[in-house]
Amino acid sequence: MTAIQQTPASANLLEARGLVKDYTSFRAVHGVDFSIPHNCFVTILGPSGCGKTTILRMIGGFESVTEGTITLDGSPLMHVMPYDRPINTVFQNYALFPHLRVKDNVAFGLDIKKIGKSEVSRRVAAALESVKMTSMAGRYPAQLSGGQQQRVALARAFVNEPKLLLLDEPLGALDLKMRRHMQVELKDLQRRLAMSFLYVTHDQEEAFALSDIIIVMNGGRIEQIGTPEEIYHSPTNTYVADFIGGANLLPGELISVDSTSAKAVLKTCIGTVETECSKTVSMGQPASLCFRAEYLSSAKPADSESISFNAVVSHVIFQGSTKLVEAEINGQRIIARLDHETEAAVGESIALQVSNAKCRVVHGSPVKPEDAP
Amino acid sequence: MFRRTFLKMMAAGTAGAMIGDIPFEAFAASDKTVNWLTWENLAYDKYIADFIASSGIKIQKGFIGSDDEQFAKIRAGGAKDWDLITPGLDKVELYVASGLLQPLDLAKIPNAEKLYAPFKSTGLGKKDGQTYGIPFYWGINPMVYRADLMDEEPDWSTLFEGTKYKGRLAMRDYALEGIAIAAMYVGIERSRIFKMDDKELAECKKACIAQKKLLRTYWNSIADLTNLFAAGEVVCAFSWVPPYYDLRAKGIDMGMAKPKEGVIGWCDTCAIPAGTTPESTEAAHELINFLLGPDYGKKLAIGGPYAISTSTARDSLTDEEQEKIFIKDMSVMDSFVWKENPADYGKWVRIWNEVKAS
Amino acid sequence: MSSAAIETKRKRTAFGLTIPTGLFVGTFCVLPLLVLFSYSFFQVDFVAIIREPTLDNYNRILHSGTYMGLIVKALVYGIGIAFLCCVIAFPLALFIAKRVTVYKSALLTLLLIPLYTGDLIRIFAWRVVLGAEGVLNSLLQWMGIIHEPLWFLLFSPFATVVVLTYNYLPFMVFPLWASIEALDDSYIEAAMDLGSRNLGVFFKVILPLSGPGLVAGFLMVFVLVVGDYLTPQLIGGSSGVTVTSAIHDMFGAAFDWPTGSALAWVLLACMTAFVAIALYTFYRSPWGRGIRGGRR
Repeated sequence: MTAIQQTPASANLLEARGLVKDYTSFRAVHGVDFSIPHNCFVTILGPSGCGKTTILRMIGGFESVTEGTITLDGSPLMHVMPYDRPINTVFQNYALFPHLRVKDNVAFGLDIKKIGKSEVSRRVAAALESVKMTSMAGRYPAQLSGGQQQRVALARAFVNEPKLLLLDEPLGALDLKMRRHMQVELKDLQRRLAMSFLYVTHDQEEAFALSDIIIVMNGGRIEQIGTPEEIYHSPTNTYVADFIGGANLLPGELISVDSTSAKAVLKTCIGTVETECSKTVSMGQPASLCFRAEYLSSAKPADSESISFNAVVSHVIFQGSTKLVEAEINGQRIIARLDHETEAAVGESIALQVSNAKCRVVHGSPVKPEDAP
Repeated sequence: MFRRTFLKMMAAGTAGAMIGDIPFEAFAASDKTVNWLTWENLAYDKYIADFIASSGIKIQKGFIGSDDEQFAKIRAGGAKDWDLITPGLDKVELYVASGLLQPLDLAKIPNAEKLYAPFKSTGLGKKDGQTYGIPFYWGINPMVYRADLMDEEPDWSTLFEGTKYKGRLAMRDYALEGIAIAAMYVGIERSRIFKMDDKELAECKKACIAQKKLLRTYWNSIADLTNLFAAGEVVCAFSWVPPYYDLRAKGIDMGMAKPKEGVIGWCDTCAIPAGTTPESTEAAHELINFLLGPDYGKKLAIGGPYAISTSTARDSLTDEEQEKIFIKDMSVMDSFVWKENPADYGKWVRIWNEVKAS
Repeated sequence: MSSAAIETKRKRTAFGLTIPTGLFVGTFCVLPLLVLFSYSFFQVDFVAIIREPTLDNYNRILHSGTYMGLIVKALVYGIGIAFLCCVIAFPLALFIAKRVTVYKSALLTLLLIPLYTGDLIRIFAWRVVLGAEGVLNSLLQWMGIIHEPLWFLLFSPFATVVVLTYNYLPFMVFPLWASIEALDDSYIEAAMDLGSRNLGVFFKVILPLSGPGLVAGFLMVFVLVVGDYLTPQLIGGSSGVTVTSAIHDMFGAAFDWPTGSALAWVLLACMTAFVAIALYTFYRSPWGRGIRGGRR
């Protein structure tokens, strides 16, 4: 386990540069770059088939790297066998060894390292304790529930004290309630262990709940890397905005782009707007105006920093403290999350406004409903 | 064909024996039909076509693979399917003791008059003055060797002592002959060979165990032995006659030895199972008489080459043809040790198994 | 229909489906065995079966060094060949299951080809290979490695082991392959992930988890080897006698069905005992957990 030389701590734990993965008939990963800092919860978020699991498997050592580099603490990983990488994985189906008891599953990695028996059992006990599975130590995996197996799989991985823990959609098989519960525990565990987690999921809520950094992927490419706040509030393109959901995307005509101040002027159905834009926005390329449903409010009184417009209400959905109003303007559909006291009747016009500062010009055309993931 | 798991073997052994074989075209039986269970090489159409044409008797053939198989088949209730069978002369008493045969009417077999003297006088095949199995055809089982690979003519001692041909010898995997040859080698009186007491048997067993160390293998089928001679695996073996002729025909210098201590002679008989219909019995007698006659005798002497048990065909054969089937100088018959069935053959088989397992 | 009625009907259907098999096995396997069993208590006097129950046959066999020796020899060969087959079949099965993708069915069919040819043909083919003037000896002599043919290659226990192993290898490869094929790759990856190198992965994960295939293959080869008397007879030379050929002799040559039946039953009992002990030991071992899927 010492094939990785300890080098002076670089800024990041893991660096991936120009990572490409080719299969015989297609390219799964198209040259991606990203970093994983120390002690950080990073999530790769994307629909199935976007290449996120392939990246995870390349880091784990289960897939070869076609092009590009992966370094861990500055040392290249590409030609290191999985068993020599200070990395452990929690598999999607847990992959608990059915012929071993829970405690022997957890001890599997430690036994190989030839550390003293008492040390092994101490660490196994501690790991089981931290996932609250001490009472199940003597059972076989088949005797555990999905959630319990999940915890054992976690314990079996982190008990080896890896530098990086890889988690491949580990909560996918659990029911919603159990998933919420495990999210909290996972995040808590990552903080306590002070270990970096690389987590793969297609569930954006899960990504927001857990992550320090989210990497949004699509079709083998990275669409955006950012904190959950950045991804949520400032998606760089229509794909990210749409994937996260809850955002209005209005197609428009680019009037001008100022790359130094990162501002653009866009003509849309609710008027011509000058506001902040993504770096990828450029003249001659499609662009859309993006603002979240909750940024809209009913327009009284209208203020100068806001854009106001009238739309015809087509649906109203009651959601307790808020109501979701769907309205149309010039054939464009707009969703607004409004205070529950706001009056809105289907078929009637409603005046809406959104703060100029909360609007953003992003790259791309709105995703049509049938194209949506 | 032989692949059998242990269970299958036992199941097939029992079930097969109980069901028995049914002759080909059994349903085409007419008044004058003989269902004949025999060796395939005795019933070629070219041998019997004349008989069928002249007598109007139909012959339905069934073939046997070994004498023991034939007995098991008849013993397990197959007798009713056959009108004429071909037991070894030494085995007839087993059939008779089991009540499976009917006595033959020698008046209906005129050619029986011409039986060679040893077959006329033998006590085998008879009981209480009645003949149940009449000698049909006979031969000897000599030693056959590769004359090109051996310096001198072998005798029985070649198979039991010395190291010169160690690992190049073969013996038939057959308790009766294996132990009888050991008896000849150790010098048991010829008349006692098949009546040996335990002490004599023990002496034979010792010789057989010594022999086993010299053997390349035990052989089970004559085709296999022929193959072993041809491939040079075996230079000398207790054999049947065919490899000698087959391999000489292929240009290998083969030798045949008839050791002075004695040569095993064998003879198969014709016998009629008990309970056949009068018509079939009549027809079977007619067929027996044909089989002992000059026409069949000559064809078998040339085609076989085997001798029938009567002298009916002898004069029509050339000296060379007579020599081939050992009937030129009839005195050679005196050196034959005719196979008999030991009283406790089970004991012989057990001894033979002990030898092979030693 | 109430759920109880549905359940009853379901059980009846399941029972009905087993009837043909039950009848077949009963008629062609159990019944003859029972006949055999009853014979084993009789005696034979010349050609008459004496139907007076006695234990003499068993007594004689159990006190016979020869027959007990032959049974032990059969079991040793059965276990040994099965073990050899395991050692050879495992890498092959592993390769086919986890490395071959495109030509998988072609390779599996190829493995079956020996079974398409008859026993005797295969045996004689081996004679051509192993004989004194055979392919192998000629090759070695031509290469100057040896100057005299190696006689032990044919008609020896060595030859018996080689040919038996070859004959029954497919019966080991197939169940093993099926087991390994069904083994999720993630177990192998998990083991590597946790630091196991190739051998560790094999012994700690693949081997225990292919337990069902291993046991099935082992027992099949074991039973087939014990029952094969033709190969030892035709390839094994003067030491090629087997307990099955001895039984065969007793039934055929000696017309001693009672002793033959008794010997067959002693052999059957020994095999059953071995299989039972082997299965019990295996199930109790940590490896056996793979078969039970961790259930108690």
